[in-house]
Amino acid sequence: MVHWRRNFAKLGSLLANNRAEADLTREVASHLTLIADEFERRGMSPEEARLAARRAYGSVEQAKQAHRDERAPLWVQHILQDLRYAVRTLSRAPGFTITAVLTLALGIGACTAIFSLVNAVLIRSLPYGDPSRLVYLYTPNPRYNLPPEDFGPAYGDFYEIKRESRSFQSLTAFEQSMFNLAEQGSAQRVSAAQVDGDFFQTFQASPEIGRGITADDNQPGHETVAVISHALWQSMFGSTSDILHRSLVRDGRGYQIVGVMPPAFEYPHSTDLPEGVPQYKTTEVWLPLALDAHQMADRDNPSSDAVARLRPGVSIAQAQTELSTIMTRLDKLHDPQTQGWGALLENFVDSTVGHVRSLLWLLLGAVALVLLIACGNAANLLLARAAGRMRELGVRAALGAGRGRIVRQLLTETLLIGILAGGAGIAFAFLFLRFLPLLDPGNIPRLREASLDMRVLLFTLALSLLTSLLTGVLPALDVSRADLVDFLAAGGNHGVAGTHGRAQSALIVIQTALVIVLLSSAGLLIRSYINVESVDAGFSQSTLSTSVQLDPRYSRPQQRAEFYRSFYSRLSAIPGVTAVGGINALPLSNSETMKLFEVEGYPNQKDQLVEGRWVTPGYFSAMSIPLIAGRPFTNGDTSYTDRLAIVNQSFANKYFANRNPVGSRVNVDDHHVQWSTVIGVVGDVRHTSLEESPAPQIYLPVAETDGGYVVVRTSRPPNVVGAEIRSTLHAIDPNLATADIQTMGQLESAASARRRFQTSLLTVFAAIALSLALVGLYGLIAYSVGRRTREVGIRMALGAKRFDVMLLMLKRAALLQALGLISGLVASWFAAHTIQAFLFGVGGHDPITILSVCVLLAICGLLAALIPARRAASIDPMQVLRTE
Amino acid sequence: MPIQILQGTLDLMILRTLATMGPQHAYGIATRLHQVSEDALNLNQGTIYPALVRIEQHGWTRGSWGKTENNREAKYYTITRAGLKALMKKLNAGAGWPAWSKSCLRRNSNHGALEKELRQARQSACQ
Repeated sequence: MVHWRRNFAKLGSLLANNRAEADLTREVASHLTLIADEFERRGMSPEEARLAARRAYGSVEQAKQAHRDERAPLWVQHILQDLRYAVRTLSRAPGFTITAVLTLALGIGACTAIFSLVNAVLIRSLPYGDPSRLVYLYTPNPRYNLPPEDFGPAYGDFYEIKRESRSFQSLTAFEQSMFNLAEQGSAQRVSAAQVDGDFFQTFQASPEIGRGITADDNQPGHETVAVISHALWQSMFGSTSDILHRSLVRDGRGYQIVGVMPPAFEYPHSTDLPEGVPQYKTTEVWLPLALDAHQMADRDNPSSDAVARLRPGVSIAQAQTELSTIMTRLDKLHDPQTQGWGALLENFVDSTVGHVRSLLWLLLGAVALVLLIACGNAANLLLARAAGRMRELGVRAALGAGRGRIVRQLLTETLLIGILAGGAGIAFAFLFLRFLPLLDPGNIPRLREASLDMRVLLFTLALSLLTSLLTGVLPALDVSRADLVDFLAAGGNHGVAGTHGRAQSALIVIQTALVIVLLSSAGLLIRSYINVESVDAGFSQSTLSTSVQLDPRYSRPQQRAEFYRSFYSRLSAIPGVTAVGGINALPLSNSETMKLFEVEGYPNQKDQLVEGRWVTPGYFSAMSIPLIAGRPFTNGDTSYTDRLAIVNQSFANKYFANRNPVGSRVNVDDHHVQWSTVIGVVGDVRHTSLEESPAPQIYLPVAETDGGYVVVRTSRPPNVVGAEIRSTLHAIDPNLATADIQTMGQLESAASARRRFQTSLLTVFAAIALSLALVGLYGLIAYSVGRRTREVGIRMALGAKRFDVMLLMLKRAALLQALGLISGLVASWFAAHTIQAFLFGVGGHDPITILSVCVLLAICGLLAALIPARRAASIDPMQVLRTE
Repeated sequence: MPIQILQGTLDLMILRTLATMGPQHAYGIATRLHQVSEDALNLNQGTIYPALVRIEQHGWTRGSWGKTENNREAKYYTITRAGLKALMKKLNAGAGWPAWSKSCLRRNSNHGALEKELRQARQSACQ
């Protein structure tokens, strides 16, 4: 009826328990006095009356307990009782408690840390309205044998699609670019996106201040407006409130600031676009794309980026069908030489995080194994401890504690351990997140947004509870199964060993197997990493690189040539600089230009593509790329009329097999008219990735590389020379900025950062797992030595040698290790295909790795077992037998 | 001789006692129960404590400390409006009880007199 009121009062009484107790005591005392008064009135002596009152009242304690049971919820009381008892028992065994808590905390901490990454990268929603309805739009052309993501739609196609399609709520096209931004006398390079009027609407992102970029802004003549990022607002304008009255000076032209985006919106990031420019980590400025009618009809440059939002209820497949129909028609409007344009929609979220999904699952899998090993360890500790507590538990059972009550008591203890470990685990995870920026490979989106938010904390709580159950159930059932009263009757310490022994041994075998899986995975990754590190990228590590972009003030070719001539010659004059060169796209910089080409005297295929790069005469020397045959470019070669080319070794091997490439001819002319003469062959360079073998490559001569890179070879420290490069540029034109000056070695290191990230994390996890397993093995052997002291004493008294005793102890350890090794090898054989995709230059079943893992584990395992085994061997038989 | 009393029955008897006699302490209630049951409910006095806390938590009584005529301190239980309502409801539904509890509840078989008693008790509860 009004039970809610009573339940509420019951819970409330828990909070005011002390007052209720005092009140009860007072009431009982007053009650007894009143009865005694009555008896005295009937003529008893005070003493008799007091005793009679007691009799009439009945058991005071019983009444009080009945009152308590009625007053507060019984289950809460029991839990509190169990908890109090657990706290007392655990604090009486601090060594055990700390070991168990730390062991589990390592596992839980590792899981929490990795889950916080998964949460930030994969689970937390992207800040773009409903991101699941966003799609990337490509117009791939199979004719060119390139990844479909290389073909953004040409504007001519894009605007036709926008007009005709019915599947999309809105579509936007944009381009990434880099700008020089004038800032108080000097210049800063910022990454920008030029966007059409539907950009912010498509992403459903609205500015925190002002407005976004509209269709009106994209009308020619109105394009001098800019929206800036929250970060730029802070760094460049000190979060000033009159930001809408300020403007940016970009390439000598003023842009009125009309809006500031919220901190979460920095799209596009370098990791967002398949062909993204790695120099932009995030976008800082959005400007109107402002295409003129001619550009909007262009069908020759399929290179914009396009994102669309599907209409509600329209599936990606339906939209794809519609789009393919439209593109079939539009393809006919293209140059017949290039026809074959199709349409492709890709899920936005998958494109953004798809490439890291498998890595994160791998890491999560690894920490789950670590947690399992930690659970095994803690369970083993509990088993060993339970054996020592048989007497106490026996007494409790003899006093009437049921099996359920004892199991609950033991589980409460493990629960307490689990919760403590969860707390410590959160602390570990917090530390990990503090160190995470050091490991950040730079190409995992939103990695730095990892934090311990509510979802992560709930995950940790659930994990702690699960861990407690996993850890506690086996020991609790094991103990309660033993007949405790019989155990007491038998008088004590011997006898119950058998059952625990088996459970503990099984745990050790499983742990060893799991460690083998982790160790061999880590070993394979380490070998892959070494392989990647030992790859010869083909250029010098110490060469400095930077990039300069001229602004519209340098509109005439002579001006540009003049600028670069002066820049190069001043750079060459810096002391210690031995060579200066330029290239349109550096190796490992994630950009390339594909060219149609033909080779004279070679069975050319239709639409053959080769990667082409434009270099200045000093480039090969500045990068220390070896000349294998012929001659390098000279200053006289840079005019287009000469038509000269240099090819790399791979090109020569493929297209000039058994011929002398020098003097042969290739055709890289866009109109297929002019032939170029190959004047030299240079060494291969890893352009796309350290892990991809070099592809055929053509280098073409150029005098200047506007928007490209300048490379400088020097024998002096890079930071000193870097500063001089900056001041050199400033001296020529203070309104130009250099992008990050870095050595090629740094660029190479950035290219292997992801591999370093995954390898170091997995190695750390494997190391934690190994040490946990060794501690577990050590603990088990030490425990069994302790229990078998008497047996050892008797054996030695009967003539066993110390060595025999040691062997006896080691035999068990060796047996467990061997079983663990075998099952671990079987398990890692199956685990190998999971990790296959992460390997480089090494097979999943690499015998060297497997062998070294086995040897490592065997040695460590023996060492862990040897310490307690030696202790067994040093037992003095006389002493043992005397104490018995 | 032990009698199994239903929890609700004991609660009801205590409420009834408080309704007819006004505020009482635990001793007074226990004595009264003993009397009205004509010695059939010969319990240890301590056994009514769970019932006391139960009905107080239901909000049917309110406890407060006071003095007896002999100037002893005692905790007095007063029936509340909610308690009276609960009592009425249970009285109307009450059938099939043990004979002794009927005699306790129907000592005044005159229903009108009980109503009057209850009204008085309600007034005192409101004061």
